[in-house]
Amino acid sequence: MKAVSQVVATLSRVPGVIAAMVVGASDGLIVETSAMLGGADGAGDIRKHTAALGAYLYSKATRASHAARLGNPAFMRLEAEHGHICVVGARDVVLVTIVTPDANLGRVRLDMMTAAKGEA
Amino acid sequence: MTDPTVAEAWVAGPLRRLMEDARLIAGVLLYPTGRAVGQFGFSNAADVMSICALTSAINASARELGRQLDGKPFYEMHHAGAERQVFMARASAGAQEFLFVGVFDRESSLGVVEIYFGEFQKALEKLLPEKQPAVPGPSGDFEGELNRSLDALFGPIGKR
Repeated sequence: MKAVSQVVATLSRVPGVIAAMVVGASDGLIVETSAMLGGADGAGDIRKHTAALGAYLYSKATRASHAARLGNPAFMRLEAEHGHICVVGARDVVLVTIVTPDANLGRVRLDMMTAAKGEA
Repeated sequence: MTDPTVAEAWVAGPLRRLMEDARLIAGVLLYPTGRAVGQFGFSNAADVMSICALTSAINASARELGRQLDGKPFYEMHHAGAERQVFMARASAGAQEFLFVGVFDRESSLGVVEIYFGEFQKALEKLLPEKQPAVPGPSGDFEGELNRSLDALFGPIGKR
């Protein structure tokens, strides 16, 4: 299993990724995080809030997916006005990225899912 | 979910929002002396009485433990049980300090509770009345203070 710091470092180098985090799936707390690209004010709060709410949302999406008898969600992407939040589950943790609107989402998805397989 | 019952009206809004946003099952806001300010999720005054007494004692112990271990008091505590979890933290508004204890389950998470507790604290700062109700310091009559605050939340004994 790759070290969480290595997972974060790999994901944060993907073009368009503003921040990459490994987050506890059940508690929503950050296990490891990259720096926030652009160093926005209050970057710590932004990452902390995104991590907690991203993990929470993923747990609800998992329930919805199970309710629809689709099994575990493979990849979750929230498209917003100014970018995307991507989440992938990997057993006890979830990988969360904040991504620019013009990022290559196919690459982000592939790299996150590859990282998640390494984590699981 | 039931609406919070409060001894001071200005805390009702922030408490309700915290309860709803963080998906808390129950919670109590109190002064460090053990006097209850508001609660939700409890229908029994005796439960709130126990929680206030225990929270006040835990805060005093944890504060001292933090001071000895880390040179400063601990800010918050979390206990994860098998089904339910307890979050306990200090909040301040102006010079006034409060304690909050909240109970949640798998419908929420510690990260989510921490986020909305941060917003709750900001709301308390913003809404703190200029002229606060007189908050007596510890008078030594812990039980009397606690009972008076419970009367304000649940009504006088006999009418509860």
